[in-house]
Amino acid sequence: MKSLARASLPAVAMLLSLPVAIVGIAAHASHARARRAAEQPAIEELAPRLPTSDLALSGGARWLRAPSLEEPGAAFADGPALPDPDPAGGAMAPPREVWARETTRATK
Amino acid sequence: MGARDDEGHEVNRSMLAYALGMLARRRGKTIALTGGLALAVALVAAVLFLADALRGEAERARAAIPDVVVQRLVGGRPATLKVQDGKRLEGIPSVARVDARVWGYLFLPTLQGNVTVVGVREGSTALSTAPSGALSAGKDLARGAHEMVAGTTLARALGLRVGDGLQLPSATPSPLLTLAGTFDSSVELYAADVILCDEEDARAVLGLAADEATDLALTVKNPDEARVVSRTVLDRLPGTRVVEKELLGRVYALVYGRRAGLVLAASIPAILALLILAWDRASGLGPEERREIAILKATGWSTRDVLSVKMLEALLVGALGTAAGLFLAYGWVFVIGAPGLRPALVGWSVLYPEAPLTPMVDAAQLLAVALSVLAPFVALSIVPAWRAAGIDPMDAMRG
Repeated sequence: MKSLARASLPAVAMLLSLPVAIVGIAAHASHARARRAAEQPAIEELAPRLPTSDLALSGGARWLRAPSLEEPGAAFADGPALPDPDPAGGAMAPPREVWARETTRATK
Repeated sequence: MGARDDEGHEVNRSMLAYALGMLARRRGKTIALTGGLALAVALVAAVLFLADALRGEAERARAAIPDVVVQRLVGGRPATLKVQDGKRLEGIPSVARVDARVWGYLFLPTLQGNVTVVGVREGSTALSTAPSGALSAGKDLARGAHEMVAGTTLARALGLRVGDGLQLPSATPSPLLTLAGTFDSSVELYAADVILCDEEDARAVLGLAADEATDLALTVKNPDEARVVSRTVLDRLPGTRVVEKELLGRVYALVYGRRAGLVLAASIPAILALLILAWDRASGLGPEERREIAILKATGWSTRDVLSVKMLEALLVGALGTAAGLFLAYGWVFVIGAPGLRPALVGWSVLYPEAPLTPMVDAAQLLAVALSVLAPFVALSIVPAWRAAGIDPMDAMRG
């Protein structure tokens, strides 16, 4: 009986590895988020002075610093020879009537 | 009842021990399967972790940005607005405030890259020092003193220390700016390439006249009315482009989602190769295994018992491989900074913020990734065992 329990112990450990991984990673991530939340006052202090909340991660086109403000009207986004940006590069096109309405609104 | 439970536990334990023994006997196959599965899970999970972390960082500062931003387009390209245009928007009901903002990009030949120069308006809230403030060294800029506050990455790239002066290249004469302070690492992701200076200094550096502004930032009393305000802005300032805060969230989702999709699409051949390897190893029951199943059946094991053992084998390998993959992905992205993957997903720049990313993943997402891998893996492993368990044991033993 004891030898059977000992023999099955590594197998039980293998089965438990997945829940342990999920709980361990989720707990570590939650701890990291709490640490980051403590830095939120610094972000909120600076953010109103910045043009956007975009991250300082320029793409291939070096002028594309703030995609939220620039990408909607950019001649090309991210870089030459890259696939078309959203929404043309998306897996599914938006309904044409919605697109037409937005275009009309923007050029009114 | 208690005796029956004990007996059931004992049977389960013996099946587990037997399944582990089977895996140990085919050590090479087990290692190949577990390793292949772990690598495929690690690649997919790392891309998801990284895209989520980037979206989370962008969202963190979104609350503080203006409700509506108005830009002017000329020939489809952004152009400057007149400061007086702001006056035409001040009368819109529910618009609490209109700010003409001065900011822009400046190419620094010494870095071969752009920096973002932002003019700070009079009356802006002063920056304080970390831990609760945005500055790591020095102080906020004093008005009229021709000072600047810059990102730590930028200051390091230019070899600047607090108190040093910098003459920025500009078409019109601009003052020498003294570095008054540097941003803390907590805001590095937003400000690595940013130079904050007085609005007048920013105008001089960027070549903007006194009556020009880069864009107009509108604060709306009731954010739900931002869409109505946008329409009114278009009526009053035709030819402008209006960007609402609500839309920014969608842009972030699209930008990082699209890049994550591209990276995953590029990884499909590698993932497929690993899955085909796994499928081959899992489905290809060799003569040894067929004989093993036949012996089990000949010694009284039912088809259900055989399938249970095979399912346990798949579960053991699948659970260990998925767990290893999740740990690998998490360590790759958040411990060592995703080398090889980060440039593919977030692009590149001369002034690259080194700040670590914060994981946004939770138990539900991890469970979803694990189940989407484990369920098909176990199902695929059962099928060939089911077929083998159905054949006559004597035929199987004869080969």
